[in-house]
Amino acid sequence: MTTQKETIRAEVFNQIHQLLDDKNITVNDEMQLIGGARVLDSMKLVELCLALEDKAADMGFEFDWTSDAAMSRSRSMFRTAGALVAEFMTQMESKK
Amino acid sequence: MIVVTGASKGLGRAICDRLHAKGLHVFGLSREIKDVPFPSMACDVSNYENIKMVVQRIKKDKHQVTGLVNAAGIASMNLAVTTPPAVTQKIVNTNLLGTIFCSQLIAPLMLRQKQGSIINFSTIAVALGLKGESVYVASKAGVEGFTRSFAREMADFNVTVNCIAPGPIDTNLLSGVTDQQILKIITQQIIPRQFTPDAVADLVEVLLDPRSSSLSGQVLNVGGA
Repeated sequence: MTTQKETIRAEVFNQIHQLLDDKNITVNDEMQLIGGARVLDSMKLVELCLALEDKAADMGFEFDWTSDAAMSRSRSMFRTAGALVAEFMTQMESKK
Repeated sequence: MIVVTGASKGLGRAICDRLHAKGLHVFGLSREIKDVPFPSMACDVSNYENIKMVVQRIKKDKHQVTGLVNAAGIASMNLAVTTPPAVTQKIVNTNLLGTIFCSQLIAPLMLRQKQGSIINFSTIAVALGLKGESVYVASKAGVEGFTRSFAREMADFNVTVNCIAPGPIDTNLLSGVTDQQILKIITQQIIPRQFTPDAVADLVEVLLDPRSSSLSGQVLNVGGA
C-alpha cells in the first residue's frame, strides 16, 4: 500500500508540476492549491482536475471533484497537494 | 450533444424539438419525461445527485457535450406576502439552484474540449420589475447574476454563458396569467407583441452556433426591455 501511495503521490505531484509556471518549484504535501498562497490559478486547477480524471479513468475508477469535499474550502481536497493525494487515494480505494 | 433541461414541455420542449429537427444530438432532461422523439432521462434539476447521475451516463456513453440549455423553470404569480414558504423554496430550488447545479456539473464536460455554450433562462419581468412576480423575479435575477459571473469563469475555456429573458411566451407557464396581464407586460416591451416559443428557439440556435462565440455574459430580453 505504501508503495502504491508513493506512486500515486508522485503522479499527482507530477501533474501539478506540469501546470506550474515556475518549473523550479518543488511540489510537496504542504503546497496550497487554493487560498491566498495557492500556486495554480483557477483555470489551471480545473486542468489539474481534468488530468486527474483521466488518470483515474486509466486506473479504472472515476475521480469525483464535484463533491462537497471539493467545494468546501475548510476541508477541501484542494487545500494542499497532500490532501489531494489523500482524496485521490480514498476515492480509488472506495470505488475500485 | 446538447443537454436541455425542462425538456418535457413549454420552452424546453420547443427547443428540443427544434434542435432535434435540425439534426442535432439533443439530450432532454425533465422530472417526468416519456414519448419524446429525442433521447431523454428523468432528472429533477434541483437535486444535485440526480444531475450527477445524468453526468455519469453522458460520460459512460462517451458523448461530447457542446451545449447546455437550462430551460427548466416554474412560476407562481403571487404577491410575495401571499406566497407560501414551500412554494418560494420550490421556485428558488428549481429556477436558481437548478441552473447553478446543472452548470456546475455539466460545464466540466465542456471544459475538456474548450468549446461550448451555456444558455440560461430568465424573464423580462426582471428588467421590468413586474408586480405580483417578486419571488419568481428574485429567482431569475439570481440566474442573471450567475450568468454574468459564471461567464467570466468559463471564458478562459472558450465556453460562453448567456441568458435569454423572454416576455410572456405562450406556454404552460402562463396558465395563471390573464390576457389583460399579458397585454400589460407586452406593452412595456420595446417590441410590443407576444412572441412564440419558436422565436426563443431561434435565439437558442444562434447562441449555440460557434459563430456566437464572441458573446458571453449577456442577458437577451426577448421583445426588448
